[in-house]
Amino acid sequence: GVAPLGPVPLQREHQLQFQMMEAAYCHMPHPSDSERLRSYLPRNTCTTPPYYQQVQLPHSDTVEFFQRLSTETLFFIFYYMEGSKGQYLAAKALKKQSWRFHTKYMMWFQRHEEPKVINEEYEQ
Amino acid sequence: DRAPAGPTAHIHSGILQARDFDDPPGLMEKTEYLLREWVQMHHNPQHARDPTKAFSIFVHQMNIHGILKTDDLITRFFKLSTQMCVDLCYRALSETATAPSIMRAKCFHSLDAFVRLVALLVKHSGDATNTHTKINLLNKVLGIVAGVLLQDHEIRGTDFQQLPYHRIFIMLFLELCAPEPVLEAVNFQVLTAFCHTLHILRPAKASGFCYAWLELVSHRVFIGRMLAITPQQKCWGMYAQLLIDLFKYLAPYLRNAELAKPVTSLYKGTLRVLLVLLHDFPEFLCDYHYGFCDVIPPNCIQMRNLILSAFPRNMRLPDPFTPNLKVDMLQEIAHAPRVLTNFASTIQPLTFKKELDSYLKARAPVTFLSELRSNLQVSQEAGVRYNIQLMNALVLYVGTQAITFIRSKGHAPNMSTIAHSAHMDIFQNLAVDLDTEGRYLFLNAIANQLRYPNSHTHYFSCTLLYLFAEANTEAIQEQITRVLLERLIVNRPHPWGLLITFIELIKNPTYKFWSHEFVHCAPEIEKLFESVARSCMVQKQV
Repeated sequence: GVAPLGPVPLQREHQLQFQMMEAAYCHMPHPSDSERLRSYLPRNTCTTPPYYQQVQLPHSDTVEFFQRLSTETLFFIFYYMEGSKGQYLAAKALKKQSWRFHTKYMMWFQRHEEPKVINEEYEQ
Repeated sequence: DRAPAGPTAHIHSGILQARDFDDPPGLMEKTEYLLREWVQMHHNPQHARDPTKAFSIFVHQMNIHGILKTDDLITRFFKLSTQMCVDLCYRALSETATAPSIMRAKCFHSLDAFVRLVALLVKHSGDATNTHTKINLLNKVLGIVAGVLLQDHEIRGTDFQQLPYHRIFIMLFLELCAPEPVLEAVNFQVLTAFCHTLHILRPAKASGFCYAWLELVSHRVFIGRMLAITPQQKCWGMYAQLLIDLFKYLAPYLRNAELAKPVTSLYKGTLRVLLVLLHDFPEFLCDYHYGFCDVIPPNCIQMRNLILSAFPRNMRLPDPFTPNLKVDMLQEIAHAPRVLTNFASTIQPLTFKKELDSYLKARAPVTFLSELRSNLQVSQEAGVRYNIQLMNALVLYVGTQAITFIRSKGHAPNMSTIAHSAHMDIFQNLAVDLDTEGRYLFLNAIANQLRYPNSHTHYFSCTLLYLFAEANTEAIQEQITRVLLERLIVNRPHPWGLLITFIELIKNPTYKFWSHEFVHCAPEIEKLFESVARSCMVQKQV
């Protein structure tokens, strides 16, 4: 860098500010600080070798992408990533694949065969 | 700072209350008990499905303990709760043996519960249509958290932790931006409250909080609300103020070009925010470019280029390398850009402004010109000799006046109509009379107006070329070239008007650019010019 107007020594005030900033630099905000608490999959940042995938695949946040995932993967996302966009997309994909969520049992169900009884209230 | 009146009154009274330690006996214990109760209720899966029920039970408990009796007790309850949550975080963060993710989860456990409580209290205070009570309470709580932060920052010094405050602010903000009618009705006031609080906690005031502060200011939901969702660009001014706070804080470090790691990190973050804004909200950068460039040090070329490269999205810029591009023929150059900074008021003292106006009118007395320099100069010390803000304001003011003047005579600004006027007298005088430092700042002030096709870009492009052509010494020409070149040899983006001006300078034979000595002063400079020229000329043959 260059300073065309020449350097000007930092004033006392700026030196003090710098000390505080330097200390803050040692404990930077973490990505999880501004996210909802992830109970099962907390963020665990670490450096991975550059020849591994560093970013998510493009368009991996669409229902179309989620529909290509296995049912087990969708269940995993649904139960382990609560309150995320992923959970929403997983639920959408499951629903498109004729799975229905039972709010009492908190489980997903799918018909094996045509139900024996169907009425306004329930099926069996 | 601002006097504690108007909308910020409650924030300021909250800040003051954070320093008040005369709590009634027993309140501390009550708060501790109630807060613990609430944290448990909040995390109880039974209540998680129906938070409003848990909340009404809890409000009942608060009532029994007399917390809701007076406003004073409520605010004290908030203050003590904030302090308790913060203390809990300090304790958790000091357990170095614990894994970082568990340590954070511990902190978030109580912080999130506290935030939810605040959000619910704000939402349910007063009746559904009473927005005042809700906003006053929010301002009060934000003031209390800010006050606790400032006090903590001061007392703990370098042991200060950003985490608890960062979490409280962002989570509370997200809670209050939830898609609910009650909250949507007060969203603008919520944004205002957060902006005031962030302005109070700007890096210059709480430098230990600067990284979290930048995270808050650049959070996608915050930017979205401030610049996109709120109608009529009502929040743009407030957001611009926060960016100015950031630029002002960085200025003394950046101008010295000695970037220690902590500065580099904040600087990189700033560049990223600017890139996001350039991509998603170019009109915002256009409107506030003046105020930003006023506080960004002259040597921060790329940072300024990011701002100056912004142009309205509905505009198609002609390729500057197009051969025989006739800038005069472009329709856009008749339109003035929006400048949302009141730069004319920066021209101080008022007597100077009056003398300036009367000189522009009468082109007399000549003494005005000879005294110009002393009006701009503020010290004898090299590097800080001039009042940069005054220089910028003077240049833009004289330029806009010149455009009006030329138009009033039925002409359009071009190379011949801009000459021989009071306005050009001022510019030529500044070019000749100022020393190197002053002239550098003067030429920078002009170059800051070389942006997308508009009347200012066109006028100042002509002015710069005119000053080059009419220069009485080669030093002036060298400096004009320097100012243009140094803005072009950095990485992209490059402002359109800047490219246009530079290409005109090296291509048009009337400027005899290649015959100047400074072009050939050093082999690397000469090569540089040739490569720039080639990039223009090659396109010409196509």
